Amino acid sequence: MELNLSTVIWSIINFVVILWVLYKFFYNPVLKFLDDRSEEIANNISEAECSRNESTALLKDYQGKIAGAREEAKNIVAKATKAGEEERAAILAQTRDESAALLERARQEIRRERDQALYALRQEVGTLSMMAAEKILTRNINTEDNQKIVEDFLNEVGDVH
Amino acid sequence: METAKVLFTIFGLEVTGHVTTMWAIMAFLFVVLVLMTRKMDKVPGRFQCLIEYTVEGLLNFFSGMMGKKMARRYFPLLCTLFLFILVSNWSGILPLAGHVEGFRPPTSTLSVTAALALVAFFATQFAGFREKGFGYLKHFFQPFIFMFPLNLIEELVRPLSLSLRLYGNIFGEEMVVAVLLSIAPYFAPALMQMLGILFGFIQAVVFTTLTAIYISSATADAH
Repeated sequence: MELNLSTVIWSIINFVVILWVLYKFFYNPVLKFLDDRSEEIANNISEAECSRNESTALLKDYQGKIAGAREEAKNIVAKATKAGEEERAAILAQTRDESAALLERARQEIRRERDQALYALRQEVGTLSMMAAEKILTRNINTEDNQKIVEDFLNEVGDVH
Repeated sequence: METAKVLFTIFGLEVTGHVTTMWAIMAFLFVVLVLMTRKMDKVPGRFQCLIEYTVEGLLNFFSGMMGKKMARRYFPLLCTLFLFILVSNWSGILPLAGHVEGFRPPTSTLSVTAALALVAFFATQFAGFREKGFGYLKHFFQPFIFMFPLNLIEELVRPLSLSLRLYGNIFGEEMVVAVLLSIAPYFAPALMQMLGILFGFIQAVVFTTLTAIYISSATADAH
């Protein structure tokens, strides 16, 4: 166990040299690289968190909008259905009224026609009665004649119709 | 005990097998850590995962002892100490280690562990002055001035204990393997070497943990 002074000095020189070389070309670049990467990863993580929050907010927003739109569409359809329903009811009512009015008018027409016809018939009957009475009065009346008159009259009436 | 053979000298400094092995370990660390992390991908592959796992694991480990800020500041020193000691310890498990001139596990000699402990010692003093200025010296006189000699001894004993512990463990483990190899060359050494992997790791952890604690206590706010 003896000290070789040369070896001691060489060892110190060697160690200082390798320390300097490694410091310059290994520790500095590698530690810097590791630090940079850690920082980058931390940044990436926080960025990802940010964009995730953002997208969550957006998603919520859009979901709200979609729900609103759906609600609106439902309202519109309901409104349109109701309007159509009302329209139909109105048209139906109008048609019913119109047809009732038409019917009424037709009835009145018929009644008027019938009255006219009755009136005309009554007039005719009167005239015929007058003619028949005239004939009876102008001829010598007997049973036979009467018979004949009635028959004539009936014939005449038949001719008229 | 054999003395490491001097292979050659540079500027009058003797180069032993421990030094050449250290150079090989430095080259290995350079290749693995520097060349293979030139292109870091945001989505890591297997190798990059291993590197990241090691770096972050050690950083968290030191953060637990000395706080995030201090751990980050002294991480290069502590991590290099750890990896250097770990690879040195494990290099002793490779075949031929200690049997070939120029290939001797560095941490199996006191010269190297003492040098590492000195680095840790001066790093601690440096950190103390850096964080607290001359107020750092105050802790030598606490809780009262008469404690100065004891405090000084405590401070100086630390590198001694660091270096001796590491050296003793690794050198001892190698001696045991060597002895087992001569007694029962087939299975016993392998078992011991497997334990050596564990011990090598533990000693690296202990050395760096203690250094981290020394730095942490030197830079902590005075109570």
